[in-house]
Amino acid sequence: MKKVILASGVALMLGMGAAHAQEKTLTISVYAFAQDEFKKIVYDPFEKLCSCKLVVETGNSVERLAKMEANKANPVVDMAVVSMADALAATRSDLIEKIDTSKLSNFDKLYDIAKDPNGDGMSVGYTFYATSIAYRTDKMKIESWADLLKPEYVEHVAFPNVTTNQGPPALYMLGQALGKDSPDLKGAIEALGEKKDEIVTFYVKSSQLVQLMQQEEIWAAPIGRFSWAPFTKLDLPIGWATPKEGQTGGMNVMVLAKGSKNQELALQFMDFWLSTEVQAKLAEALVDSPANKEVKVSDQVANNITYGQETAESLKLIPSDVALDNRNAWLSEWNAKVGQ
Amino acid sequence: MFHNRAEAMALALPAAVFAAAVFLLPVILLLAEGFKSAEGWSAAAYTGFFSEPINQTVFWRTLRLGAIVTVVSAVIGYAAAFAIVNLKPGTKGRMIGLVILPLMISPVARTYAWIVILGRTGIVNQALQGLGLTDGPLRILFTETAVFIGLLQLFLPLMIISLISALENMPRDAVPAARVLGANWFQVFWKVILPLTKEGVVIGGTLVFTGSLTAYITPAILGGSKVLMLETLLYQQVSVANDFVSASVIALILIVMSFAANLLLKRVATARNNR
Repeated sequence: MKKVILASGVALMLGMGAAHAQEKTLTISVYAFAQDEFKKIVYDPFEKLCSCKLVVETGNSVERLAKMEANKANPVVDMAVVSMADALAATRSDLIEKIDTSKLSNFDKLYDIAKDPNGDGMSVGYTFYATSIAYRTDKMKIESWADLLKPEYVEHVAFPNVTTNQGPPALYMLGQALGKDSPDLKGAIEALGEKKDEIVTFYVKSSQLVQLMQQEEIWAAPIGRFSWAPFTKLDLPIGWATPKEGQTGGMNVMVLAKGSKNQELALQFMDFWLSTEVQAKLAEALVDSPANKEVKVSDQVANNITYGQETAESLKLIPSDVALDNRNAWLSEWNAKVGQ
Repeated sequence: MFHNRAEAMALALPAAVFAAAVFLLPVILLLAEGFKSAEGWSAAAYTGFFSEPINQTVFWRTLRLGAIVTVVSAVIGYAAAFAIVNLKPGTKGRMIGLVILPLMISPVARTYAWIVILGRTGIVNQALQGLGLTDGPLRILFTETAVFIGLLQLFLPLMIISLISALENMPRDAVPAARVLGANWFQVFWKVILPLTKEGVVIGGTLVFTGSLTAYITPAILGGSKVLMLETLLYQQVSVANDFVSASVIALILIVMSFAANLLLKRVATARNNR
């Protein structure tokens, strides 16, 4: 009898131990975007799988990076998703750690551009997007990024502000089209500044563009593919341009916080997020375009996201160091030439 | 009411501590940022701020728009308030309700409505073209005019309400008396109504001017980055450039502008009195 009591006592303690393990928490820092879908597709299933608790912090990347910097000595966040350039910024501030990709079973399934976007082993791309021009096919023809500045079109164009994620890539492509491509984007900003009175607006929120397009306030605007879907629902002939200079875009990456106590768990979470199944579900929900090349989606879904080997290979992304080293110069150049 | 001062002070203490801890102290800390430099305390951030042409443009634009909105809302506000106080009590209540109504709608919704109204295909442009005043659609959106219209609509109710309460406190027979004594309407306004309702102008003017200085949504949506104002510039400094020093410089400038406007309005109002 005594043994039985002892055994059950031990069992109880073991059970408590297991219960204690369940208290494990992983803190992630993500964009405040499509969180309902992420909860359903990524967070809830992962919590079940790891029997741990996920704490999700959201915000824009500047805020979130500032927070990580403030908590550097005693990191709260275990893993974060940020833009490529912000990942390099975090590397330079010594906030993140090298990712042991041998622990990511889905790593080999990624498109090449997503494997190590900054070439330093500190980040892994989980989604990317194309940036091109949404335009009224009945009013204009867009064959080059420079067509936006044509006198007959420019009064119907909204251009992204340099402060948005779409701004620098769009300027980068405009510079290429004008034959004035330098990392400081001077040529493109200057060309835009000359037309600033004609251009309808330098938009900050792409959600505003749908209304402007519907009101015929604008005919064309460079946008990220992720904000394309609402335009297709307007009862207007709107097309996605494939300019001869190519499309640009951006990539979001996963990073591992330096000094995190849950690195194994964080890697497990990253691997789960990169899995074909999760990436496919996120794509189907039109949340994030897949970085996993095994993901197959219907034509209808493909139409609304950035999809496929060919697209992935054709994207001309601004190198992170160029973005980082020139960001403030772009802003002051923009404020001097366009912002006033 | 109280037996001694100490008792009164003791009662005010919790509120004072609360205000100091959650408002005054953080504000001082924030503003102190702007005076810090590598070599100690200095006003370098301020001189640096004003040496940039774009910052000067934005500063003057903010001041100009705030002043115009305040003056125009005072002019319209007097007319409206005067009409309203002379109504029968029931109608007056309903009219005041109508004036307050826009305040109950979110500024975001109101501002988005202006995008539709002021757009190329909006009602304003349709009317202008229908009346033959313009050949093609005018560009109103994303100009200073749009920001002005948005701000005026946003803050006019505050001016009207302030003026209504001031006019109601004015002796009923002051205006008829002045008229009987031979004053024309301009003299009645300038020498009788204005001095007697100066409190209302000062309060309304301060509310409208500070409101215009600090409104973020309206200039952001109706002006966009082509019509940067101090508040939209502040947001840009924090959220894009992560430059809290410039942001606290702008914050202090906005605070100083608000206080200055209040002092100026009070001065203008009392100056009339002393004459």
